[in-house]
Amino acid sequence: MSKPIYQRVDELPTGGITVQALKSLDFVIPGQWQNLVGFDNTIRAVTGETDEALVRQIGERAVALFNDKSQGYQRALWLYDTVDSASGLLGTATLANRVGQDISFLGFLDRLTPKPEKAQSIDLSVKLVTELVAFCQINGIPGDSIGDFLAALADYSGESLMRMAALVCFDGILPLGADFILKGLATIQGLTPDELEKNQTFNGVKDLIPGANSKDKLNFIGQSFDSVKGWMTDFVASHSLTQEKIFDNLTKFVEISKDKLDYVGAFLDIAVKYYSHTGTQTLARRLIERAAAEI
Amino acid sequence: MRPSHWQTILAALILSVTLMVAGCTRPDTSPYAQTQQETTQPGAPAAVAREAEQGSRFNKFFPTGGNGYSVVYTQEKKGFSEAKLKRNGQDVAMLSISDTISLPAAADKYKAATETLAGYPVLEIGDTQTGVLVGDRYQVKVQSRDPSFTPQDRRNWLQKFDLNGLSKL
Repeated sequence: MSKPIYQRVDELPTGGITVQALKSLDFVIPGQWQNLVGFDNTIRAVTGETDEALVRQIGERAVALFNDKSQGYQRALWLYDTVDSASGLLGTATLANRVGQDISFLGFLDRLTPKPEKAQSIDLSVKLVTELVAFCQINGIPGDSIGDFLAALADYSGESLMRMAALVCFDGILPLGADFILKGLATIQGLTPDELEKNQTFNGVKDLIPGANSKDKLNFIGQSFDSVKGWMTDFVASHSLTQEKIFDNLTKFVEISKDKLDYVGAFLDIAVKYYSHTGTQTLARRLIERAAAEI
Repeated sequence: MRPSHWQTILAALILSVTLMVAGCTRPDTSPYAQTQQETTQPGAPAAVAREAEQGSRFNKFFPTGGNGYSVVYTQEKKGFSEAKLKRNGQDVAMLSISDTISLPAAADKYKAATETLAGYPVLEIGDTQTGVLVGDRYQVKVQSRDPSFTPQDRRNWLQKFDLNGLSKL
């Protein structure tokens, strides 16, 4: 059985590579993300209530709601966890691929692992779709409702906005460059369902991506990416984001040597679990908001 | 009949494995441990009753924005619907309707209400919430999310819901 939700929130780290990497993005969205940890602490912060009996009552209702499988909260958390661990596997493959390119006698590794850019593009788009599907699970909107998601995206704040900032920076601009949106779209448009099925990140979460088969799912991924590209373009432009700025800020928080930009995307994939971390925070917030209203 | 040699060995083995497993499991000392146990055991009652009204049916009873206020829907689940109230782009309150059929205690507390608002029992809950119970079943709440949004503001916004319409649902 999965861990109780209060344990998950109580055990969220206050330090480490994931937290440090996210803090490095504070320059993008200043003050938006506070790394709220601890279940009761989150209840107090979200509701503004200090009465311990009331905090306990809200917590108990939140626990019950999370444990009712029909409510979709467990599926959402599973999605956030899974897309992180599956893309970590991709990171391992990408590192092996880089080694393959650098050391000629290991060149055969090229044939065993996907090309980094293609793999990163798929990773980016699958993570984006995961956000959409998890959003729908948490907020009770039909799973294929791209329009509702787009409307809500405009109102994203706190840890949800941080997750999107990290997606754009760590899975978009850093590994793929400033034109990551075009590269991502081109990759998805040129992809076959067979190729998609070979992607670890996709395989991790495919059961919850709308569509009867891989071809439908690929279409859905393409549609979602296409609809969110406007938001991403604006986000990059309004914050004047560049590879260099993100990398410079990252090196202030995480020890990476400056000549290792090539490896940074793969390193982040393995070491930084930002979907799982901020996803737990988003889920806790929504559960608590609902519990506070229902009791 | 006396147990054979191998039966004794097997029993000892099972006992030691059981003790090992039990010893490794950290007891859950959280104040929520009991709720966790009650809501995950086989046959535990669902948190949301099957007969609960769909949240989408509540939306038409919510107030609309205007005068610098906007209403942004955030959750729409079975038995529950919630929206943020924003003033000039800042979150100031949460507006919600929930079906107490899933949580009878939520309705029961209104028996202690000593006043009414628009004809429905009204309660101040904690420091940030004001709620009314409509038709003995639907709980409508306004919760402050900013200190500038006062208890009186909450009452004003409660009255902007179509409470009579909701009572006929």
